[in-house]
Amino acid sequence: MPSAIFTIARSGLTQARRSLELTAQNVANAENANYSRRTLTQGELVMTGNIGNNAQDSLGGVRPGIIERAESSLVQRQARDSSSALSAARAEFLAMREAESAIETSGVYAGLVDVEAAFTRLQNNPLEPALRLSALESARKMAGNFRIANGTLGNARSLVQAEMGARALTVSERAKELAEINADLVGSREGTAGRAGLLDARDLVLRQLAAEFGIEPTINANGSADVMLTGTPSVALVTGAVASAVSVSFAADGTASFAVGGTGFVPAGGAMTGRASALIGMAGLQTDLDTIAISAISIANTAQGNGAAADGSPGQPIFAGTGAVDINVVLAAATGLATAPSGAPAGSRDTGNLAALLSALGASTGPVSRADTLLLGLSSRVSALETRSEGLTVVVASAEAELLRETGVDLDTEAANLVRLQQAFQANSRVIQVAADLFDTILGLR
Amino acid sequence: MTSITNSAGSFFNRSLAQMSDLRGGIERARSQIATGRRIERGSEDPAAAAQLRSVARREALAKVEGDNAARLGQDLGAASSELEAVTALLQRARELALQAASAPAGDRARQAIAFELEQLGEQLFGRANAASLTGEPLFSGQSSGAAFTRDAVGNVTYVGTPTSGGVPVAPGTAIERGLPGNAVFEFVLAGTPTSAFAVLGALTTALQGGAGDPVAAASAAIAGIDAALDTTNRAQTILGTRMAWVEQVQEQQGERNIALAERRSRVGDTDIAEAIARLQQSLTALEATQSAFARVSSLTLFDALR
Repeated sequence: MPSAIFTIARSGLTQARRSLELTAQNVANAENANYSRRTLTQGELVMTGNIGNNAQDSLGGVRPGIIERAESSLVQRQARDSSSALSAARAEFLAMREAESAIETSGVYAGLVDVEAAFTRLQNNPLEPALRLSALESARKMAGNFRIANGTLGNARSLVQAEMGARALTVSERAKELAEINADLVGSREGTAGRAGLLDARDLVLRQLAAEFGIEPTINANGSADVMLTGTPSVALVTGAVASAVSVSFAADGTASFAVGGTGFVPAGGAMTGRASALIGMAGLQTDLDTIAISAISIANTAQGNGAAADGSPGQPIFAGTGAVDINVVLAAATGLATAPSGAPAGSRDTGNLAALLSALGASTGPVSRADTLLLGLSSRVSALETRSEGLTVVVASAEAELLRETGVDLDTEAANLVRLQQAFQANSRVIQVAADLFDTILGLR
Repeated sequence: MTSITNSAGSFFNRSLAQMSDLRGGIERARSQIATGRRIERGSEDPAAAAQLRSVARREALAKVEGDNAARLGQDLGAASSELEAVTALLQRARELALQAASAPAGDRARQAIAFELEQLGEQLFGRANAASLTGEPLFSGQSSGAAFTRDAVGNVTYVGTPTSGGVPVAPGTAIERGLPGNAVFEFVLAGTPTSAFAVLGALTTALQGGAGDPVAAASAAIAGIDAALDTTNRAQTILGTRMAWVEQVQEQQGERNIALAERRSRVGDTDIAEAIARLQQSLTALEATQSAFARVSSLTLFDALR
């Protein structure tokens, strides 16, 4: 039956052309990281008629099947989880590095050492006006450095907070997007290109969400995804077509707290966790910085109180302030520096009180040593965070490579497919040619 | 069809990550060479950064201590040269006392001697109130006023403080600034506290006719002048010892500064030879990676099929 040969060849041509289209689609999306490669399934088409025990088969060629999308929920999950961990470490590292720059470059430590040096020089000749002035100015500079450190630390903190606010909005938007995708997925038909596109979009949103929060998605039979944010307690972000909004608020000390749809929770994993932990670190730094400033203020003012100024009057406080934010020099003139012990006459060159001040400043519990400890602790922490995020980068890179290997487009395979499908197309055309020749042969009978 | 494939995207990602790592390494080595500093921020090497901080603090304090020692040396030198002059002056006074004590000298000669002694007394008072190069009194202890004052009848009193206070010149080492005037010019003679001024003043008065027997008075004064000389010599020795001490401390400071600089360089400076070798290595690796990338990325079936 030549007409059956036509039908068979036509079905083969259709199949080959549709497969070629998909191959072209795959090649076009070779560099699209969010694209999962597609294949077209096929099935043989045989029609069988039965009358009693007599069965008759009629070959119908090939039936184009459904568009299959390379899926691998396990690898997807690995990629998501590792990127969650990396985002947390990286966000904390970047934020703490800002804080490190703030405190290191503001010169808190150098300012304290300058004060120490200037007062040590003053011991040489405690009444020389130039030395006194330079000692007082070094104290002024030190106070300024504390205020700069306070300001830059505050800047670093508000940058992190602003980023958290913006990211919380993005996460809420993504959650809404996922809810819409879920709604569309319910209505989509299995094996269509549209459904494959929706699934790509779903996996992309899940990855984007995982970068900000640790997530626990549940993939339903219809392909839709419900998302829980992990934490204490875990809270639902997206359930079916319903999404909740994420909000973040900040306490007076700058630390953050989160809420999803009004329910408070502490997230575990994702960049938000890293930023929240950096904010806690910065609050600790602020406390330490204030403690050092207060210790410098109280040591200097106590020493002043125990001593006598150049004119023999009781020493007045050098500094005023309640912390790094407002430490300030209030001693009006350099002659007011109480270098001599209390009760010394006017014009005394006794440096007993100065020596007491210097030993308190340089003591192991003094501000110099505390500032050193603060810097050492901070830079060690930043260094550890850097090492951790470098290690996680490798993990994430290998998880992503794995994901791309599972779902990505291999150009060599696609090139081979092109050749194969082109040959199939040509072969099917040839079959039609043969069928036509057969038909002509029959028509040509005389 | 197999599900494991060699994704084009993953190949490009991997190559890019490797090349950007190499680029980062090159940039770091270059900036280390350019700045000469191995550490740009504390977190690159927290322990080394902490060492650098303590070295920087030590260096800042050592510089000040060095300046303190130099100035202290100058002050001690100034005090010592004043004391040399005082010694010469007292020796001259002793010669004059000897002359006055010798019987042949007449009243006129004693008057002349008394006149010279009076001048010597003035000079002694001036030297006792001498000031350092920066105008600080040398012998008044911790007081910034004059060391000695003289009342209307010519009695000289020490008004400075009994100690002179130390100047820190090294960690844990403070050297006394000088000697208080009472330790230089005052002494005990035959159980009675007296001073060089009192001895010279008494002799002058005696020779000017204030004593019945000026010869005996002059003889008696020689013992006082000898005691004054002794005290001055002792003070001179103390100052000399302290100057030697300061010099020793300065030498140690020099050595410590060298040690500190070496330490700073070892911890914080770029090892240029090593950095350049590393840079060269990274450059070679980057070039090789780039050319390998170019060759491998052109190896697709699409290029082979024509």
